[in-house]
Amino acid sequence: MTEQSSPVIVEHLFRRQAGRIISWLAGLLGPQHLQLAEDAAQEAMLRALESWSFHGVPEKPEAWLFRVAHNYAISVLRRDRKSGELSEVQDIKAGPASLDHPELDEQLRDDELRMVFMCCHPDLPENARVALGLQLVGGFSAGEIARVFLADERTIAQRLVRAKRQMREQQVPLSMPSELHDRLDSVLHVIYLMFSSGYAAHSGEELMRRDICMEALRLGQLVAGASLAAPRVDALVALMALQAARLPARTDASGDLVLLEEQDRNLWDDHLIGMGFYFFDRSIRGNEISGWHIQAAIAAEYAKAKTAHFICWQTILENFDHLMAVNPSPVVALNRAVVIMKVHGAEAALAEILPLEAHASMRGYYLLPAVKGRLLMELGRHAEAARAFHAALACDCSQPERRFLEKQLSLARASE
Amino acid sequence: MPQYMILLRNDGDPFSRLSPEEAQRTTEKYFAWRQKPFTVGGARLDHQGRVIRKQNGSVSVSDGPFSEGREVLGGYYAIEAANFDEAVKFALTNPHIDFGTIEVREVVPRPADK
Repeated sequence: MTEQSSPVIVEHLFRRQAGRIISWLAGLLGPQHLQLAEDAAQEAMLRALESWSFHGVPEKPEAWLFRVAHNYAISVLRRDRKSGELSEVQDIKAGPASLDHPELDEQLRDDELRMVFMCCHPDLPENARVALGLQLVGGFSAGEIARVFLADERTIAQRLVRAKRQMREQQVPLSMPSELHDRLDSVLHVIYLMFSSGYAAHSGEELMRRDICMEALRLGQLVAGASLAAPRVDALVALMALQAARLPARTDASGDLVLLEEQDRNLWDDHLIGMGFYFFDRSIRGNEISGWHIQAAIAAEYAKAKTAHFICWQTILENFDHLMAVNPSPVVALNRAVVIMKVHGAEAALAEILPLEAHASMRGYYLLPAVKGRLLMELGRHAEAARAFHAALACDCSQPERRFLEKQLSLARASE
Repeated sequence: MPQYMILLRNDGDPFSRLSPEEAQRTTEKYFAWRQKPFTVGGARLDHQGRVIRKQNGSVSVSDGPFSEGREVLGGYYAIEAANFDEAVKFALTNPHIDFGTIEVREVVPRPADK
């Protein structure tokens, strides 16, 4: 017998199927049985662990997991339910028999989509929506979510428990909403928050963060493939794909940040760039121009340039002007200032960011003094730049960001 | 070649806290070990069981088999190794070390007939 080197199970099978099983069972049994659906998914994983680890993977692993989860849920319902409600249980028993049907994939996509909308319900707190989506649709555990958010596992677990209690008490429906337009925006917002939490430059957990980005991208495609999709969904998918393409180049071998202009473009993921442009093309078919469109256009501009030298800063600045008109937030203004530096010089950029210092939402945000320091360095005002980097280091930031700022600070001091 | 039993004792309910991703990785590790050339048999044991005892002359059957705090025998492998040291060396690579304790016992061979 030879040692098996190839993975015996399809990558992320358990995690993907956990999300699908929860969505499917919650759809079958009703959202009031969400906890049972979660327990059943967990039970299926445990049974698989116990059986597959000695006997290998069954021929149809997905169907195996669905069947085990379904049987578990039915047995619990049988045990718990009063006899009057048994007919309902009999009805849903037909569930797993249909597991081989070709329309099942479509059914599961609908179930997942409904679950996404449930998790993104506007009555739920925003930070809970991201965690709920990751857990119930993505199959991530509270511990895994906590590691990505750099949060305590208990905090995340409590947040999830509270949100689910709220779902139960307020009877948040597991269905497609009637006021689709507003709810779609909430869903897109949550998906991008999910993506950003994975994209943020934390140290360690590189793989997990990438997985979360890819899950957000998958959910974006799920929504884009649904009949309710609007061009802005395609734009969001394009944005995420183009940004995710840069993930392999964002940090160097020692985990330090590499600025976009200095990234090795050979490391960018061609497949994701292709996907990004495909969805970008789709997004501009209609008349709609959303904030997602503009952000995707900016990401596309970066991706188009063969080398950093060919980045068309003028076009990017026009897009940022556009974005400011749609979404005049200080964070957008700050990012726009960096582009202004490229087009009109550091002096003009500095004039743009000074008013931002008065903004309450910018207080404690490391990027503002970090950008200020960079502009001051450009202007040769090294002492002031050092003070700015010092101020940036006093803010919350991740280890790679901290190392980056420390490098800038010592550079500024050396030039003084 | 001498055979050894590798007994896996679970520390509480060690798998229930695994995320789906961790459960998959764990499954893969155990299965890879099951596929090793020195592994000749093995199975996981169900948690449920019955204990049959004779006390004061009468036989009793009870649910169990585990009294509080005892580690549960969660499974076993039969392996072949040149000697005890090698058996222990193999056992040290078993993924169960993250979930409980591993016991190595030599299977006493039948004495050669004269």
